[in-house]
Amino acid sequence: MLQIIVQGLLLSGLYALIAMGFTLIFSVGRVLNLAYGAYLLIGGYIYFTVSQTLGVPKVLGLLLAAMVGCLVGLLKYRLLVKPLKGNHVAVEISTLILAVVVQAGVVFIYGDSSKILLPIVPGVTQVAGASVTYNLLAATIGSWAILFALYWFVRKTHVGRAMQAVSMDTKGAAISGVDPDRINMFTWGLSGMLGATAGVFFASYTQLSPSMWVAPLIIAVAVVIVGGIGSIIGTLIVAHIIGFMEVLAVAVIAPELRGVFTMLLIIGVLVIRPQGLFGREEL
Amino acid sequence: MAFLELDQLSAFYGKAQALHNVSLSVASGEIIAIVGANGAGKSTLLDSIMGLTRVTGQIRLEEKSLIGLSAAGIVRSGVGYAPERFNLFPYMTVRDNLLVGAYTARNNVSDNIAVVHKLFPRLQERANQETSTQSGGERQMVSLGRALMTSPRLLLVDEPTIGLAPKVCNEIAVALKRMRDELGATIVITEQNANFAMTLAERLYVLESGVVKAEGTVDELRNDERLTAAYFGH
Ligand SMILES: Nc1ncnc2c1ncn2[C@@H]1O[C@H](COP(=O)(O)OP(=O)(O)O)[C@@H](O)[C@H]1O
Ligand SMILES: [Mg+2]
Repeated sequence: MLQIIVQGLLLSGLYALIAMGFTLIFSVGRVLNLAYGAYLLIGGYIYFTVSQTLGVPKVLGLLLAAMVGCLVGLLKYRLLVKPLKGNHVAVEISTLILAVVVQAGVVFIYGDSSKILLPIVPGVTQVAGASVTYNLLAATIGSWAILFALYWFVRKTHVGRAMQAVSMDTKGAAISGVDPDRINMFTWGLSGMLGATAGVFFASYTQLSPSMWVAPLIIAVAVVIVGGIGSIIGTLIVAHIIGFMEVLAVAVIAPELRGVFTMLLIIGVLVIRPQGLFGREEL
Repeated sequence: MAFLELDQLSAFYGKAQALHNVSLSVASGEIIAIVGANGAGKSTLLDSIMGLTRVTGQIRLEEKSLIGLSAAGIVRSGVGYAPERFNLFPYMTVRDNLLVGAYTARNNVSDNIAVVHKLFPRLQERANQETSTQSGGERQMVSLGRALMTSPRLLLVDEPTIGLAPKVCNEIAVALKRMRDELGATIVITEQNANFAMTLAERLYVLESGVVKAEGTVDELRNDERLTAAYFGH
């Protein structure tokens, strides 16, 4: 029981980080970035190459992964999303295709088989009688730290408030002197950075494989759909619902069903309450 | 020298033309009103000055063209806008709404907040309230306050009194006068209510179907049938 609670809390923190970059883009730019999972893929593999294969210090590997994620996000906005501005179907189709292309690229470079990413922080400890890897603990603490920083940033800085403003009323933001295009660009970069960082944590918790963009994407979509348009707090809450659901499914029913309940939850909420459980538009 | 000058300004929504060769000029420190019925093109005119519509013609602020600038660039040039439907940020507090307005004027934040609070003491009392829960009058105050936070020299206000109780209309009128007298702002308002426009503005432009039908001082236009025609929408 305690094991489930501890595992649930830890996993949920990681899920919140995974979902956050996706939620940001959805609330600021109203774009469902179906290529979001590719950031995690890119982040995981870059960290793998730099820190595990080449032996560069782990912190640097993580930073580099985040920076490349940021760059990919910026490029994607500039080259894809902005030119297709307003055409949501075209954006969603092309982002989905992009994710598949990235996957093919990863297979081409690294091969098809999955790789083990060594724990960022090795070792096991006991938390309230439950055994927990240091790695998951570190990932969770890292996630919480990033989420706190993000919350502070969005609430307390001019650029953060401008992000909220664009998400709530683009015209209102523009006549306040905020350039919505720049804020979107910034948000795409930030989202890529968060995604790639989450990818390193996620891969070290599961494993590195060319298809590892799918599961996180489903988690992120679930958080947006279940939570309505995402506030940071809402994202945290829903990530915990999903995290605990998965841990329970694995512990009580069968590990194979891990992601299934999340998907059923998405469909259920879409049918019963399309605006999401918490549905209101804020950041 | 005109402070604001529109020269042969036309505005378009797709193929539909909403303004036809509108020319007008505003002197520094003036309050003018654009009077017209629903659908005359008042909001389009102000949106066009803010760079939010597709236009032809010329818009100059102190001789400098605003054509081609983004809305953010126009704000930076010194134009503040309180639009018809306010376009506030509903789930942000009053204070945060004002702070977004400070995006381009970050050096004057505390001075500007003090000015806004002096004009609208209620915004200070309600600083932590979300604007989604506020009355129309309060939202109009937040909207004007947010525009003031950009340190504007020219203030555009679209139908400042629409839907407001007479007492609140008065408060808004007093505040607008003070913005001109104490802050030196030049003000362009739009109005369907010609009577209100005449109590506040020194000069009027009558707009009908996107065309300027008459212009003049309040005294010149007071008994002009073109003003009453616009007022009643023919
Ligand atoms: N976004 C828009 N798209 C198409 N037509 C519009 C739009 N906004 C306004 N119009 C049209 O432009 C004309 C002027 O509208 P508007 O400027 O809102 O008038 P007013 O503010 O005087 O009531 C109207 O015929 C209106 O239907
Ligand atoms: Mg209007």
